[in-house]
Amino acid sequence: MDHFPTNWGRPRNDLNDAYNTYPLHQRPYNGPKDTFADGVQRTQQPIVTGTSVLAIKYKDGVMMAADTLASYGSLARFKDIQRLHPVGSHTVLGAGGDMSDFQYIQTSLDTLLIEEEITQNDGHSLGPSEIHEYLKFLMYGRRSKFDPLWNSIIVGGVKDGRSFLGYVDLLGVTYEAKTLATGYGAYIAQPLLRDAVEEREGQENSITEEEARKILETSMRVLFYRDARSLNKYQVATITAAGISISESQHLSTEWSFAEGIRGYGAQTQ
Amino acid sequence: MNSLVSKFSTNNIPKQDVEDNEEYSDSMWASSAGYATNGLPTFRLPSLQQPTDFLRLHTDDHADPSCRIKIKHGTTTLAFRFKGGVIVAVDSRATAGSYIASGTVEKVIRINKFLLGTMAGGAADCQYWETYLGIMCRLHELRNRERISVAAASKYLSNLVYSYKGMGLSMGTMICGWDKTGPAIFYVDSDGTRLKGDLFSVGSGSTFAYGVLDQGYHWDLSDEDAQELGRRSIYAAGHRDAFSGNTINLFHIKQDGWDFIGNYDVSKMHYDGPGNIPGAPGTGYGYEVRTNPEACVVAD
Amino acid sequence: MDGKTAPQMRHFNPYSDNGGTILAIAGQDFAVIAGDTRQTVGYEIQTRYAPKVFRLNDKAVLAVNGFAADGNMFVKKVKQKLEMYRHAHAKDMPLRAIARLIQTMLYAQRFFPYYVYNILGGIEEDGSGAVYSFDPVGSYERESCRAAGAAQSLVQPFLDNQIYFKNQQPIPGGPPHPVHLPLSRVIALVTDSFTSATERHIEVGDELEMFIVLSRSHPQQSLDPRLNATEVSTTASGEKVFVIRRPLKRD
Repeated sequence: MDHFPTNWGRPRNDLNDAYNTYPLHQRPYNGPKDTFADGVQRTQQPIVTGTSVLAIKYKDGVMMAADTLASYGSLARFKDIQRLHPVGSHTVLGAGGDMSDFQYIQTSLDTLLIEEEITQNDGHSLGPSEIHEYLKFLMYGRRSKFDPLWNSIIVGGVKDGRSFLGYVDLLGVTYEAKTLATGYGAYIAQPLLRDAVEEREGQENSITEEEARKILETSMRVLFYRDARSLNKYQVATITAAGISISESQHLSTEWSFAEGIRGYGAQTQ
Repeated sequence: MNSLVSKFSTNNIPKQDVEDNEEYSDSMWASSAGYATNGLPTFRLPSLQQPTDFLRLHTDDHADPSCRIKIKHGTTTLAFRFKGGVIVAVDSRATAGSYIASGTVEKVIRINKFLLGTMAGGAADCQYWETYLGIMCRLHELRNRERISVAAASKYLSNLVYSYKGMGLSMGTMICGWDKTGPAIFYVDSDGTRLKGDLFSVGSGSTFAYGVLDQGYHWDLSDEDAQELGRRSIYAAGHRDAFSGNTINLFHIKQDGWDFIGNYDVSKMHYDGPGNIPGAPGTGYGYEVRTNPEACVVAD
Repeated sequence: MDGKTAPQMRHFNPYSDNGGTILAIAGQDFAVIAGDTRQTVGYEIQTRYAPKVFRLNDKAVLAVNGFAADGNMFVKKVKQKLEMYRHAHAKDMPLRAIARLIQTMLYAQRFFPYYVYNILGGIEEDGSGAVYSFDPVGSYERESCRAAGAAQSLVQPFLDNQIYFKNQQPIPGGPPHPVHLPLSRVIALVTDSFTSATERHIEVGDELEMFIVLSRSHPQQSLDPRLNATEVSTTASGEKVFVIRRPLKRD
């Protein structure tokens, strides 16, 4: 502790500890030690990554979209990776961030559901809000161990006539909203999604499946134009009372002729 | 087949991966919740090689003003022993960075009727550990059928904080009381220092308080003069130290336990003084001497 | 290899700041605890409705602000402990005991703190309104009013002036400043605090959620219907808890 009046009570700068009294409490530790302790690598940064996931609530339930790219840094490494994952019969996860951590979450949740069904078999099944809550505890637990699962995940689903749309990320931060977007999409697509929903304030339930699909497609296209880690191939999941359907990957139509007229970027100086 | 069974029998997420819902031991059901009295309370450490660096990175607002977690810090406190007992005087300001988080902090912690502790440094560290000390003092009374001495109580605290040395606790406290040996003061801080003495002042404003205290202190002070000296010293610190101020709390420990003498506004002390109290000048401590020196009686 | 020479590769910061502001004011026989519902990170509005104020029981309401994940987890754990207490003692935990519980729970994380500022409001066993405010590691005190969070430095000086009458002289010969303000005045102050903070702070807005706890000794046991309050208390004989929701600017 520093006793100098201007920083009284603050930690002393131990680099200038003239008497070498810091830290006295440390003694050589002779207890049991994990042999592999030095060899364990925690996720310190994502390696193979997915970009944005978008989701919107509409009349019949929830619709979610994500492209099929898994990047390795700036390299578009895997171009046919599904980032939308069904969990049970009421819920879909969409994930951005580290794909290996996402695969761990997928297998874990699948096993959890199997366990629930086989060992409990009590007629109850986990719905989207339960999955979301479980993921919150998992992600928060791992961040509290400084060993995060490096993802932002959107959980969407419909159960017992109620649609659910929630977010959870590597810090354990959660929230729910009528429209959600992760990653770059939070900046570029979220305003478009909110715009579409808020212009029908009070009657969000009137958005039809067709309209929802249209809004997501527009947003995915805008993202593809500006997000350098995105791809023009994407999948859409719809979760309704009738069940889950995840589309085949579909191609975004794009228009680049306007680029002809752009001046001032890169090599086009004239 | 066994592998199939095991696949269906357990979840592959290690249980400890999921944020734990603490187990509810018997102590949860009793009133000791949180302060396991059968030993020391336990604290969760960040699983890093240097937990203290982590704590400092996020809580030391002095090294990094933009750090997120700003822990409240407290600041000028004093206590002295004289023939009439012990005077304890403190200010009431708590700062978090440069923000005055509170002007109404109770920096004198009432451990029991005969023991007071002062708060300087981390507000939570002082509050928590002196509350814990209160529990231990009461247990001592129940086990030994007599009150704990000030020396023993302060040693409890100093041993305790010493066991956390280097972990980032911050407290500078005076354990004051009256026991079989008469009035006693022990200074205890989070480095593990424990000093017996007649006169201490602790905190960022301590140098200002010492200035007034040292020139006015002697053993044979009357009760009123001693109280006035405590009040006047904290006023000086509150006036000159940016991290001290708001109000003064004054306590007097006598043979039959402590008395709360009063709460005084530092600004009011500057302009009007504490009022017509024996020992007080009858005018403001600061304003009158600066604007109308002739009207002031010079204290000898 | 000791800790000092070991390679340190720590890109991961377990905290973030989710903005927003909370506020509580205690009256003689009531308490008002309020917060906005915007959740942000940096310049991004994550959601327009993430509650920060929670009813614990019929006489206690807890507001949390800071890092949302810590805050939500902390509230969850407080609620679990209160539930256990209810099963053990067949009554709700009194407010001052909840305050001490919160201190010990926060201090248990002294070396890996919750980045959460807590304000607890409600009714004490003697029927008086009370507010307890905490720092992230558990130092606490009982007060009459407290603002915390992003706009605390905007709101607290206003409250000091309007509730404690700081830097106000009473009219010479007139009545002295009142010690306790009436409920209607407090609700107006809380509403104004939030509308004003919304104007001047980008992390505050969207919706105001205000809990009101009425002591059994409060002369009225219901609120003015014009306030459009919803009652959320669970028993008819105990303290009454109400919620008032008001829109704030969303820009």
